[in-house]
Amino acid sequence: MRHLNKLYFSIFVSIIIAIAYLFFSTSNIQMTLNKNVEEIFINGAKSFAQNISEDIKSHIKEDPFKELKNHKNLQKNLEQTLSVIVNETYKYIFVLYRDNHGNYRYILDGSKDKAHFNQRLSVNKELWDKVYNTQKAVIVNQKKLDHLWITYLHPVIFNGKTKAVVAIDFSAKLPKNICQAISPLNKIFIYIFIAIGFLVSILIYQTFISMKIKKESITDQLTNAYNRNYLRDLLQSIDISKYQIMMLDIDYFKQVNDNYGHKAGDYILSRTAKLIKNEIRENDILVRFGGEEFLIFIKKASSRSKLAYDIAQRIRKRIESHHFLYEQDTLHITVSIGISCQPEHFKTISESIKYADEMLYIAKRKGRNQVVSHIIDTKTTNLNNKKSINDVKSALEDNRIICFYQAIHDLKTNKIIKYEALVRIKEKDESITPPMMFLESIMYTNVYNDLTKTVLENVFKQIQKQHIQISVNLNFSDILDNKIFMLIIEELKQHKELSSWLIIELLEYELLEEISTIQERLKEIKSYGVKIAIDDFGSGYSNYEIFKILPIDILKIDGSLIKDIDTSLISYKIVHSISVLAKELGIKTVAEFVHSKNVLETVRTLNIDEVQGFYLAKPLPKI
Amino acid sequence: MVQFGVSILKKIIFLLLIATVLFSSDLKTEQKIYKLIIHALLPNKKDIKVWSDTKSKENLLRGIDDIVYVSSPTKANFVLLSKDKKTNKDVIKFVTNIQLLEAQQNNVVGGFFWQKGRPNILFLRRNLKEHNITLPESMQEYIEDEI
Repeated sequence: MRHLNKLYFSIFVSIIIAIAYLFFSTSNIQMTLNKNVEEIFINGAKSFAQNISEDIKSHIKEDPFKELKNHKNLQKNLEQTLSVIVNETYKYIFVLYRDNHGNYRYILDGSKDKAHFNQRLSVNKELWDKVYNTQKAVIVNQKKLDHLWITYLHPVIFNGKTKAVVAIDFSAKLPKNICQAISPLNKIFIYIFIAIGFLVSILIYQTFISMKIKKESITDQLTNAYNRNYLRDLLQSIDISKYQIMMLDIDYFKQVNDNYGHKAGDYILSRTAKLIKNEIRENDILVRFGGEEFLIFIKKASSRSKLAYDIAQRIRKRIESHHFLYEQDTLHITVSIGISCQPEHFKTISESIKYADEMLYIAKRKGRNQVVSHIIDTKTTNLNNKKSINDVKSALEDNRIICFYQAIHDLKTNKIIKYEALVRIKEKDESITPPMMFLESIMYTNVYNDLTKTVLENVFKQIQKQHIQISVNLNFSDILDNKIFMLIIEELKQHKELSSWLIIELLEYELLEEISTIQERLKEIKSYGVKIAIDDFGSGYSNYEIFKILPIDILKIDGSLIKDIDTSLISYKIVHSISVLAKELGIKTVAEFVHSKNVLETVRTLNIDEVQGFYLAKPLPKI
Repeated sequence: MVQFGVSILKKIIFLLLIATVLFSSDLKTEQKIYKLIIHALLPNKKDIKVWSDTKSKENLLRGIDDIVYVSSPTKANFVLLSKDKKTNKDVIKFVTNIQLLEAQQNNVVGGFFWQKGRPNILFLRRNLKEHNITLPESMQEYIEDEI
């Protein structure tokens, strides 16, 4: 299409050049014609003037004025001679002399409207004097006189002195006739130029309209940022190695809409976009990605540049400090930003955008009003040989995500009463990769969600097969995460009859936030018969308040307290107090990390319900 | 439709050009000359009243900004004649052609006319004297003792 446009443009320019060439050629022909005609008539006039001069000299001895004044017949005869030459072109032929006052007066007049002898004629004295003084002919172009074209002035010399001047006036009709003869050609050019002008005007107008429509089609009307139409085109043409990608989301935007209405939401969106625009540069690209999400392409200075991070922080701080005045209210808004610093390391731009989105997701999960950027992309394996997102993705695709199961024994009966499912990656060389090698890199990403789904599906398969309780490990943040929570509920719905065999172990190392949401969600999970266990209790951020606020069924005492319980009095006493408290609250206790007979026997004395550890059973791929 | 519009537009432009050339160029030149002549003949007169016996010259005189055109030659102090017409002797008379100048050479102070395509001004010394008119230096060269 572009080539076609270029071709049309070339043809159009060629036509214009050809017409311009023709126009100038025609003008040139007209000028040459005029010049030639002029030359012909001037030569004619020259020879007539010379003849007249000779004729006068042949009849007059010394002073034409005096002699003609006294010889009326001679005057009449000479004027008759002059009148013979008068025609359409040589309009006036007359002879003037210069009086003592420097005025020019008739001595002979061969024209039709004949003047009197000695009558004065107003002439351009400067030119006539020139003829008188230089005794040379002068050709005058009569540009100021409408009816005259050229005047040919020729001196009449007697004894080396100019005594009179022969004047031949050319009528202006001849050049006018030439102009009229050529005028149809000129008219054609005028019409062509008007047509071209009209065409160009239409083209300019259409281009303007087309540009306007194009701009409107790629611009978000509310924020004046580019929209997804533009993004679609941009993704096809952009050299992503020159950019860093920033994904920005307005925190708690839904609350603005809910509390202040959609108009307030629109106001926040447009103002936020304006604030972002003020913080980015001209060569950065702002796109409204959808809803309250913005995608920003930051032109980077160098491949390892932290530029996007700095700009993101600037935007975040600017928006955080801004007072959004809407009607009577002052609103305070924060934004979360995820950055993909090296988008060129991804297979596609969409993947790098997805990565920026994942970083945004982390920023949200970390409490919002944050900027998250991973300079070293998880696309590549890091120095500790930990697995990358792609490794985990690949394992998910190849069904190489498996669970090992570690038995949990009842202390009283010594029988296996349940298992803890522990996720592993089965490598292509059959080796097994533990979770510590890959969980960190996929945390807060969609891959983590997929992994959770796979683990739950594996566990339910085992429950269906073995009809035994199996616990899985999740984080509190997983429960708070809408996607993971929905995924859990979906799985529970699908395996409703098996749900009562499932235990969810919640890792306690995270600070509890949004308690009411966690309470609601655990309540819903428990409605399917699922048991809730608190994992690693007694270490990290252990807080007794959780007994008050969470519906806990099982308490798994942290391995760091159990492993030296047989030798450390402090550990013993802590575990003892936990056990007593749990018994009082009707919560079952599990001692983890039972690695020796001594530990097992010591735990037995503390009235703990269940035990788990390498001494009793190692995690195995099968139950 | 577009061609018709262009044609009309072109005609209008052409007519405007013609009008500009005909009515602004020559007319303005002639007006300027008459203005100079009138002021040269009536240098101390504040309210110059003029009259002409032809419509074209009337229009021309009406276009001069600092003089007043009057409806009758009796009210005027400058009369521009194109025809051989008797008027009050005291008024300053000026003619527009050489033939009339010759015919009225005892009554008129001068004339402005075109000869051989050139503008010609001519004042008659005797008649200027009768009206006690002294022309400025720039006009002196146009004074003739006789035609």
